[in-house]
Amino acid sequence: MYDVVVIGSGASGGAVAYTLCKAGFTVALVEKGRLIKREEFSKDELAYCRRDLVTPNLFDEFHTIEEKVQGKWVATPTHESGWSFWNGNIVGGSSNLMSGMLHRLHPDDFRLKSKYGEIKGANIVDWPISYADLEPYYTLAEELVGISGHYEKHPFEPWRSTPNFSQKPTTENAVSSLIDKSCKALDITPLVTPRAVLSQKKGHREGCYYSNLCGSYGCSSGAKGSSREALIYPALATGKLTLLTNTHIKSLHTKDKDKVSYALAIDTITGKEKKIKGKIFVVATQAHESARLLLNSHNADHPNGLGNSSGELGKNLLFSGGGAGQGELHQESLKHIKFNDLMTTGLFVNRSILDWYFIDHWWYGKFKGGSVEFMFEHQNVISRAIKNNYKDGSLVWGKELGERVFKRFTTHKNIRFEIFNDWLPNDDCFVSLDPTHKDKYGMPVGKLRVEGHPQDVKVGKYIAKKCEKVLEEMGAKNIYSSVSSGASQNLVAGGCRFGNDPKTSVLNAHCRSHDVQNLYVADASFMPTGGSVAYTWTIYANAFRVADKIIANLLHTLS
Amino acid sequence: MKRRIFLIFASLLGLSTQVQARKVITFEHNFKALEPTLRAVQEHLFPQGSRIPSAKEMDLTKFLFETMKHSSFDRDIKDFVFEGARELEKREKNRFTKLSIELKEKALREYEETSYGSNWLGRMMTLSMEGLFSDPIYGANKQEKGWKSIHAYGAFPLAKEKYLGV
Repeated sequence: MYDVVVIGSGASGGAVAYTLCKAGFTVALVEKGRLIKREEFSKDELAYCRRDLVTPNLFDEFHTIEEKVQGKWVATPTHESGWSFWNGNIVGGSSNLMSGMLHRLHPDDFRLKSKYGEIKGANIVDWPISYADLEPYYTLAEELVGISGHYEKHPFEPWRSTPNFSQKPTTENAVSSLIDKSCKALDITPLVTPRAVLSQKKGHREGCYYSNLCGSYGCSSGAKGSSREALIYPALATGKLTLLTNTHIKSLHTKDKDKVSYALAIDTITGKEKKIKGKIFVVATQAHESARLLLNSHNADHPNGLGNSSGELGKNLLFSGGGAGQGELHQESLKHIKFNDLMTTGLFVNRSILDWYFIDHWWYGKFKGGSVEFMFEHQNVISRAIKNNYKDGSLVWGKELGERVFKRFTTHKNIRFEIFNDWLPNDDCFVSLDPTHKDKYGMPVGKLRVEGHPQDVKVGKYIAKKCEKVLEEMGAKNIYSSVSSGASQNLVAGGCRFGNDPKTSVLNAHCRSHDVQNLYVADASFMPTGGSVAYTWTIYANAFRVADKIIANLLHTLS
Repeated sequence: MKRRIFLIFASLLGLSTQVQARKVITFEHNFKALEPTLRAVQEHLFPQGSRIPSAKEMDLTKFLFETMKHSSFDRDIKDFVFEGARELEKREKNRFTKLSIELKEKALREYEETSYGSNWLGRMMTLSMEGLFSDPIYGANKQEKGWKSIHAYGAFPLAKEKYLGV
C-alpha cells in the first residue's frame, strides 16, 4: 500500500508527488499515457500537431459536447466533430506542451463576488482562501518550476514576497521593442510576460535553446517548466516515487462510506485490471476528467458520484473567456525595427498587458476585464502553408500556390494577441456522464455542456478593440480579431469547486472531499471562478498548497 | 456543417457505393486501384516548375499511401479520400488520368464547383502539403527542399522515428 496514490501526472499531480516524496512518503503516480523522455522529443509537426499522437484516438476515448442548436441541447461525440478535449496524455501531461505564458491571479480574483457583486445568470462565489494564502506557493512554483521574467510594478500586478524573478526573461525578438513603443504611444503599459521557460541552466535542466517551436511540443533542453522535468524527475530521484505509466484509473472504490480503499486500474496496453491501494488518493486528471472519474465511482453510499452529497460535482465547469486577433507586419510598412530582426526565428515576444484587468469606464461602467498576451503566429510550417490554399472562395493550386506560399513566408510575419478573461460559471456549463456513450474501457464518457455567459463575450470584445489599436500603431496590416463564447479545450477548470459549506461545494478549503476523508482533488477543478489569466501557475501553486495539507493529514494520522 | 457530418451526408447521397465492400477490401487494394487518379491529381495540384517542389519530385503519392496507412490516420478521411477519387473518375468517365493538363484543370475546376468536390480537393491539398513541409523523416520533404523553397525551417531536433514510434 502506498501512502498516497496520485492519479494524473500533469502540473498538479507532479507538484503533489514531488512534495510528498521530498517529505519521505511513498507515492504512486498513475499516468494513462507513456513517458516520453527529453531526448525523445522532436519538433515533428505531423506527429504532434496534425495526428495528435500524444492524446488518445478519439474513436477509442472521447467526450460528447452539448451545444444549443435551434433551442435544443444536442450532444455530439468528439470523434464526429474532431473537437478533441484531450490535452497531452503523457507523463507530465499538458504541461509538456504549454507555451508557458503565466501570470498569478490578482487578489481580487479570490473575492470576485464581494468586489463586483452578483451577475445575473452567473454562479459567482468568493474563494474560501485569499491571495495571501496562495502567495507563498506562487513563489515556490516560480522557483521550482522555473518561471523566468522581470517584475515591474503595475496597478494590476499582484504583490509578491520576493523582489524579482530569479531567472531573467528569455531573449526577445526585436518586435518586443516595437510593441513597447506602440503601447507607450497609446498610454498603455506593456509588461514582460512571466514564462515557464528557463533562460539559464538550472540543476539538471538546460536553458532555452530557442527552437522556434515551443508551444504544442515537448522541450528538448528541459527548459520548459513541465511537471515531468521540474518535479517528477526530482521526485523519482528520492526513491519514494513509483511511476505507473500506461495505467488508466477506471473508478475509485470505498470500503467504509467515507474512505477510498483502492483505485481500479487498467493497463492500457495489456488490458489487465488491478487494484492500487493507498492511504490517501489524489485526483489530478484535468478538471473535466476528474469530475468524470468521481461520477463514474458512484456506489450505494455515494449514488450520485463519489463525494457528491452536495450535488455540485461536475457543475460550474470553467474554460477561458476571450479570443484572439492578428495582424501582418510587412517589410515595406515596418516601423522602428529592421525586417531581418523581425524575421529572426526562435526568440520570444514576452509581452503582456494587464491595463484592462479591471475596467472602470465612464460609459461602459465598472467590470472585471482580462489580460492580453502578444506572440507570433504559431510557427508550424504546415499549418501556415495550408492557410494559402484559398483565394476569393476558390482553391489555389499550381504555380500560383507556390508563389503565394513563398510570399507568405518571406515578406511578412504575423503578430498575434490572445485575450484571457473570466469564463463566468453558469448553469449551462458542466460535465456529467453520457448515458449512452462509453469509452474503450467500458466506462461512460464525460458529456460536457459548454455554454458561456454573454458577459464573457462583451468583455472580450471590449479588450479586442483595444488590442487592434495596438496592432494598428505597430503598423500591422489586415488586422482582425475573433471573440466568441466557444470553449477553450486546453484551459479547463472547475467542476469540483471548493468552499466552506458542504452543501454548496464538493471540496473543502484544503481541496479535500467534504464527504470522503482520504480523497483530494488537486487539479484546477477546485476553482469556483477562474480569473483572467491562464490557469497553470495557479494550478501548480495550489497543488503545492494541497500537498502541504496532505502531509499534515498524514502526520496527524501517524501520530 | 461539421466535417464528419458532411462526410456522412455525402455518403448518404450515394456518393459511396462501396460501404459494405470497404469492410473486406484491404486498404492497400483500394489505394492501388485509385493510385493513378490520386497521383494525377497531386501532380496537377503541385506541378513541376513551381516555387515549391513538385508532387512528382517529392513522391507525394508515396507519402499519401504511408500516412493514410498509419493507425493515427482518421478513418473517415481515409474513406473520403477514396470516395472522392472514385467520384472524380465517375464524373470523367474513368479518363481523368489520360486527360491533357488543360482538360484536367477544367475537370478539377468543375469538380470544385460542387461542395463535395471542393471539400475533397481541399483535403488532397492539405494531405499533400503535409508531406511537402513535414519532417524529412516522412520522405516527402527530401533534403528539406520543401522548407528551403519557402525559407522556412522546421525546428530541431528532427524526428528520429516516424509518428513517435507509435
